[in-house]
Amino acid sequence: MKHKISLAALVGLLLLCQMAWAADDINLDVTEKTLSNGMQILVVENHMAPVMSTFVRFKVGGVNEHTGISGTSHLLEHMLFKGTKIIGTTDYAAESVLMKKIDSLAALLRDEKGKLHSKLLGGSEERAKALRDEIAKVQAEETKYVIKDELWGTYLKNGGSGLNASTSADGTQYYVSLPSNRLELWAFLESDRIANLQLREFYSERDVVREERRRSYETQPNGRLQEALIASANWSSPYAWSAIGWASDIENVMREDVEHYFHTYYSPSNAIAVVVGDVKADDVFAICEKYFGKVPATPAPPPVLTDNGPQMGERKIEIEFDANPSALIGWHMPEAGQADVAPLDLLSDILSAGRTSRFYKNIMEKKLGQVSASSSFSRFPSLFTCRVMPMGNHTVDEVLTAVYAEIDRLKTEPVTQAEIDKILAQTDADFVRSLASNNGIAFRLGDMQAVAGNWHYLLDYRQEMKKITPADIMRVAKTYLTKTNRTVVTLVKPASAGGDAAPKAGL
Amino acid sequence: MKKLYILLILIMAASVLTAAEKPAGEKISAGSKIMSGFKYKDITWSVPEVGREVQREVLDNSIIVYFMEDHRLPLVSIGAMLHCGEMYEPTERMAIPGLTGNVMRIGGTTHISADSLNLLLESLGINLQMSIGFDASNSGISCLTKDLETSVQIFADVLRNPAFPDDKLDLAKEQMRTMIKRRNDNVGGVVARELSHLIYGDNPYGRILEWSYIKGITRQDLAAYHSTYFVPNNLTLAVTGDFDKAKMKALLVKYLGDWAKKDVKLPDVPKIATAPKPGVYEIYKDLNQANIQFGHLGIDRNNPDRYAVNVMNWILGGGSFTSRMTSKVRSDEGLAYSVRSSFDPGSHDLGTFLASTETKNKTTHKAISLMLGEINRIRTEPVSDKELADAKDGFINRFVFNFTSADQIVGRLAALEFDKRPPDELKKYIDNIRAVTKDDVLRVAKQYLKPENLTFTVMGKLDDFEAPLDDLGKVIKIDLKPPVIE
Repeated sequence: MKHKISLAALVGLLLLCQMAWAADDINLDVTEKTLSNGMQILVVENHMAPVMSTFVRFKVGGVNEHTGISGTSHLLEHMLFKGTKIIGTTDYAAESVLMKKIDSLAALLRDEKGKLHSKLLGGSEERAKALRDEIAKVQAEETKYVIKDELWGTYLKNGGSGLNASTSADGTQYYVSLPSNRLELWAFLESDRIANLQLREFYSERDVVREERRRSYETQPNGRLQEALIASANWSSPYAWSAIGWASDIENVMREDVEHYFHTYYSPSNAIAVVVGDVKADDVFAICEKYFGKVPATPAPPPVLTDNGPQMGERKIEIEFDANPSALIGWHMPEAGQADVAPLDLLSDILSAGRTSRFYKNIMEKKLGQVSASSSFSRFPSLFTCRVMPMGNHTVDEVLTAVYAEIDRLKTEPVTQAEIDKILAQTDADFVRSLASNNGIAFRLGDMQAVAGNWHYLLDYRQEMKKITPADIMRVAKTYLTKTNRTVVTLVKPASAGGDAAPKAGL
Repeated sequence: MKKLYILLILIMAASVLTAAEKPAGEKISAGSKIMSGFKYKDITWSVPEVGREVQREVLDNSIIVYFMEDHRLPLVSIGAMLHCGEMYEPTERMAIPGLTGNVMRIGGTTHISADSLNLLLESLGINLQMSIGFDASNSGISCLTKDLETSVQIFADVLRNPAFPDDKLDLAKEQMRTMIKRRNDNVGGVVARELSHLIYGDNPYGRILEWSYIKGITRQDLAAYHSTYFVPNNLTLAVTGDFDKAKMKALLVKYLGDWAKKDVKLPDVPKIATAPKPGVYEIYKDLNQANIQFGHLGIDRNNPDRYAVNVMNWILGGGSFTSRMTSKVRSDEGLAYSVRSSFDPGSHDLGTFLASTETKNKTTHKAISLMLGEINRIRTEPVSDKELADAKDGFINRFVFNFTSADQIVGRLAALEFDKRPPDELKKYIDNIRAVTKDDVLRVAKQYLKPENLTFTVMGKLDDFEAPLDDLGKVIKIDLKPPVIE
């Protein structure tokens, strides 16, 4: 029992000690440069190992789309791996002739599909099939010029690690870690795909994305919930669809539409590159000027002005899917830069970060359910969400009741300063941990530079967090976490899937 | 750091490759001609070593400690590994190790209650993780430098004196019960579980956890399990970060030095029955996409062919977009988002060869046929010079990413000893990859890929498949019963 006293005493001491923030002493040594065409470059040197992590971000995502072209940002992200006028092809000119041919056939097919939408319009399945066959024939011809996945293969054989890209509502990012002597190769390949993109193998890639949508959304209970929530809560906000886009838009979007979208949004002034690792900032700037700098400046893309009006009452949606019940709740909340974002962020941690959080103590430890709260940090007004999974034989309604009780308590009883300090201590340590890898630094800097316009807001936001009072928490709970402002999506098993007593037999 | 030569040789590998790109018939892009003119300056780097970047010591009670100081951030982390795990237990006891690890974390110690412990950890931003997995316990604590002694004290206390209170055990059991109840919700999880059970049968590698094994577990079971395996002579620590090694060692001695040794004997693990179970196992669910996974037994991790097998699998389906399966099924045909194959070497026995994809129901047969076509091709024709060179260059140039942080470096070196690997395995890795030839690739493809032994597991809306799968093997329906949780 010899440690007993010291450990217990430590808990008491915590309440007395002045918080000292480790992250405040860290010098985040970021060097910045804006190229002549408006592209922003951030560099952090770290000479631990002869490697570097790179991150290129474009401020384009689901928010820039509209129905008809939903999912285009993500499809475009796939297309940027398909090559350029000089990568992925033996003869760009010859290939372009075939691509134009496919475009005209695809336009005819689109018109035929339009007529097939109504029996009254005289569309013909035979004509549509003939056009599909003809497109497939020209596509097959095109392959003789194609060098498959040359960009991807080049990165891999040069030691590319963690190579990938992702698209969200707010942005699109391309990332790879490489041995640090591959700096020029990286700048060449990344600038080439902005300067010389060629949308080859477009229609087969559209099919790939359609399969991705089935895989990640249509066959997954959480994907179904997420998509139903954002569509139901956002009647007129650009966050109404997921980055993958609607199924029928993926199936019908045209190559020329995507090309036009690319030219609108992939302007250098809409791009940020971050390099973290065993490099010298001046070398990075010189290489970036040489390669990215020659991409011509183009006009800034148009701003997004579509917005949700105020929600006029609770929205309740039910999704039928063959899985155990669960639910997702969303409340409207403001965009990054608004004073209420940090208090909502802290509030979400008070609810569900760690084993001393309110949801864990009062819902999980009572074996009712597992609930996590999550606040947004986004370019436009978005959602504060709670994900709800009942435990054992409890129902969704029982857990929802417990969740609402916890939220109501936030509006009537102030949280304690100790609860706030505990979250601040965790975010302080987590912030330091996030700086432990090149990758982590590159992602955080690039993301903040894109969303807030300045990476330094990473540090400013921490200062905002430290000023939050219990009264702030109560105010934002009362303002945003109301019944009128919420949308609740519940996933239930369809009767046809059978209950536990009547399992679906194999055919 | 001493100037060494390993990556110098890596860089040469890339220039050799450029020459290999030239054979007639290979397509060349304008961009590749530009890139072949790039000069990469040499990088001086070598595989980190014990006695150089990393220090190793053994405490008086046989705890093995690996240290690496790294003062760039005010952080310290301590990892702990012990030999034990689910693999060593008979089926009816298979849940005990996992529960023991979980309740060590959530249950507090005999000196501090769970609630006080969690409050202390969270108020200081300390991360503590405890787990006992399939074949080892892997735990760790991460803290800011200012909380170093507190963290060592807590970690030692949790490792040595867990309380295993009944209420936390009940909570952990209820979490497992919920997990079992929900395990058929995720299509990929169902197919992987059923395939593994078909390949391994009731061997620990293929067992399926049931509520009946969990229901009756008591705190005495956990306490007995803990006291059997959590002994200092079974413990390896990996310590990295912002500390002075002598002071760190003194702290470890202070909080762990009086922990008495005790004999540990790991139970024997039943050998895997190697009889294959070819066939097509179909599971019905009303989904608009089929989940397809198939495989058979593979190699163990001491197999001298493992380097050639890795290169072969990379070309077949392990190398993402540039691998043959992905190129065919995804890029050429647009049939799937993800297509892959893997040779996962077993940690103590034979691992598996697995291949998987997802495609809309009506192209299920076609997708499988294309993947099988690639398996047959790599077994009958040598790969191209370029495929071999690209794959080997990738393995060699990527190797440095195993050693980019102190945590990674110490973790790799400590695991080498913990897993009883040859001490020079990491140092020889690049030479072993470089030695792989086209003949090796063909030979190991013939030897370790056995299409006639493949077990196929497919879940989807079976009546929408464009063709029956009976040409792949005997079709057997699996009736997915709701898990029993009462």
